[in-house]
Amino acid sequence: MKTIQTDVLVIGTGFGAAAPALRLAQAGAKVVMIEKGPRVQTADFRQTSDPKYVLKYLKGTPGDNLKLTYAEALGGGSGFYEMISLRAPSLAFEQLDDDGRLLWPADVDRRSLDPYYDLAERMLHVSQIPVEEIPKTGLVFAHLMRNLGYSVDRCRYAVRGCQGSGFCVTGCVYGAKQSLFLNYLPQAVSAGAEIETDLEALAIEPLPARWRVGAPLRDVPYRYRVTARRRTGERELVAFVARVVILGGATVGTAKLLLASRPYLPKLSEHVGRHIAYNGSVKVAALLPDGVPDADMFTGRTHPGMVSYQFLGSHGITVHAVKAMPLMLVSAAHLRLRDEPQAAFWGAPNVELMKQLRHRMIILDAFGLTPPGAALQVRAGDARVALPITAQLRVYHAETKRILESILVRNGCRLVETDFLDKTFMPRQGIQFSTAHQVGSCRMADAKEHGVVDASGAVFDYPGLYVSDGSAIPSSLAVNTSLTILANAERIAAGLIERYRLPLPGGSQAQAA
Amino acid sequence: MQDHISRRLALKHFGLIAAGLAAACTPARVLVNAYPQTFDDDPELVDRVLRAFVTTVIPGAAADDPDLVRALTDPDYPFAQFAAFFAADLTRRGERRFGEPAFEQLTPDQRAAVIRDGLEADATTRKMYNGAVTLAQVAFYAGIYDAQRGCALIGFEGGYHWHPLSEITYPDPALFLAAALTPDGNAA
Ligand SMILES: Cc1cc2nc3c(=O)[nH]c(=O)nc-3n(C[C@H](O)[C@H](O)[C@H](O)COP(=O)(O)OP(=O)(O)OC[C@H]3O[C@@H](n4cnc5c(N)ncnc54)[C@H](O)[C@@H]3O)c2cc1C
Ligand code: SF4
Repeated sequence: MKTIQTDVLVIGTGFGAAAPALRLAQAGAKVVMIEKGPRVQTADFRQTSDPKYVLKYLKGTPGDNLKLTYAEALGGGSGFYEMISLRAPSLAFEQLDDDGRLLWPADVDRRSLDPYYDLAERMLHVSQIPVEEIPKTGLVFAHLMRNLGYSVDRCRYAVRGCQGSGFCVTGCVYGAKQSLFLNYLPQAVSAGAEIETDLEALAIEPLPARWRVGAPLRDVPYRYRVTARRRTGERELVAFVARVVILGGATVGTAKLLLASRPYLPKLSEHVGRHIAYNGSVKVAALLPDGVPDADMFTGRTHPGMVSYQFLGSHGITVHAVKAMPLMLVSAAHLRLRDEPQAAFWGAPNVELMKQLRHRMIILDAFGLTPPGAALQVRAGDARVALPITAQLRVYHAETKRILESILVRNGCRLVETDFLDKTFMPRQGIQFSTAHQVGSCRMADAKEHGVVDASGAVFDYPGLYVSDGSAIPSSLAVNTSLTILANAERIAAGLIERYRLPLPGGSQAQAA
Repeated sequence: MQDHISRRLALKHFGLIAAGLAAACTPARVLVNAYPQTFDDDPELVDRVLRAFVTTVIPGAAADDPDLVRALTDPDYPFAQFAAFFAADLTRRGERRFGEPAFEQLTPDQRAAVIRDGLEADATTRKMYNGAVTLAQVAFYAGIYDAQRGCALIGFEGGYHWHPLSEITYPDPALFLAAALTPDGNAA
């Protein structure tokens, strides 16, 4: 087996991985990144609804009452996200667990993250959508909210020169969306980092080594050996030995890797794979009444430009309008008008409904501060996620749905029933959540009794092993997750540079401070 | 392949995509009775029945569209393994109920009744009918075989259709906007 030595091995190339890889490479460390998914760039993307193309990159973890979606490719979720880039509200950092303890470590909150949000926003060219670019769906959503005296804000995006093609989730063919392979990753390579794709880390083993606490990186011995397998060709095994290993495989990938490594890392916290938060997304659809302008679902950027914080303080939710491409919508739910309960999800009534999808249908989605109640179970390499539906969750779901429906009904809309489907296309029973905003399977905490890593991202009891991706984020955020993951990863990177006494790169803490 | 699975049908992976995009598919094994060999031997018969099925599920879809039933027989989607069995089942139910041995000769209402029958049958059959209906809808409305074409019936243009800004938004956006709670789009 080939063995590669490096100062720092970064597993993954998504938001959590990109920041430490770039900053440590800029600071002079030898950095290798390994990515399970394929190498992609703008030219590889297609504007298509071909499921074979979509499923090449977008993967899911099924489960009980919760379904997780994520991307596996160079840049992680950044190639396929809708580039919504919002800071988590202060409220998110103030959430408590059942015992009244703060979910977040004491010294990580909105104020301490703000400088890193600034840095992340600069790197990704995040800005508020100009008024004159808001897609019709977003404007109609704003109109409905305004009718009721509610507020709506223009959303923020990581994009430059958006053409409004509406194919953000199949990858931006124009290079407008600020995916990580346009900024962090090439900059990391320019600074000396190497990136290998189609290479999956399988297990992490500590190596027998002694070092002085607080030693600079160059004096730290090789402490971990990571075995990886190529996913193409002969599928050979490759070993990496590293002084520092940073896990950026995301909520599912990082937890799976740590769980697979538990035989070699017996002191790992029992919390690995647990406490997954998921932004409790509740969706409601309706047909607009006559007189409300066309809410064209098929033109303009995928996310329609607006977010409402109206119910954040009172109910812990943000409200968005959603644009759904036919592929996503029809495979996700059977639709029928609520006031026509006998109408089938197929045949003439369904065709009539589908004909209204583009211009007359509006879908609202709420993201909420639901507790981190889901857990990952891995058997024979296959992951499932389980979310017990508690009384508290039932109340949240019912109340959130009531708010969304009330917005629509008071505007004269006709509600559309959405029967969400399972993997065999059968309608799912009971409360079901699905999300691409999963975080927290290896959460940060002040002590090992409550989490997997400390506030610096260091895995408890395993010096030199760090987690910097979404799995370290301990709570739902009520907004999209990527910017917070990236800002937190920048914060962790700044800590690593300090801890390992690396020279300050021109742009890390210097800019963030 | 059809022959092989006509003996032992394992119904797996109807899946495409679900839940705001999640990938689908779990194995759901079913055993079904044997069906007439002619459905294995005559792909045109299967094609005719499936076309009649899809145009019943989606009235208005063009019966002669070359891609109309492609997803149901596309070897990349596991439903293809059940296409012949499914066509045979539609035919059998149609004949039992209406005495007409050719499903495609039934009236649209009769065909709809047959499909309803399948959707209300035992759990395994329900799953197959649900899968077939949904797969047909996904393929048709999303235009999965032609990125350029989309689906004219619902005004979906497929990919690569550029629209000027004037078509994406309204000329007087400020008229729609509600009060903002934040100066920059980020909640405090
Ligand atoms: C369709 C979609 C749309 C989204 N839209 C938005 C949005 O608009 N705004 C927003 O804020 N968020 C959005 N998200 C969510 C956002 O993309 C994720 O929160 C974010 O990508 C998670 O970052 P991460 O660093 O935790 O991991 P990721 O970005 O998921 O990166 C993890 C990477 O690690 C790799 N990996 C995993 N395991 C291994 C292993 N063992 N070995 C090697 N590599 C491994 C994976 O292949 C992956 O590339 C969206 C997500 C999806 C799927
Ligand atoms: S809407 Fe904008 S960012 Fe999204 S794919 Fe089209 S051009 Fe790219």
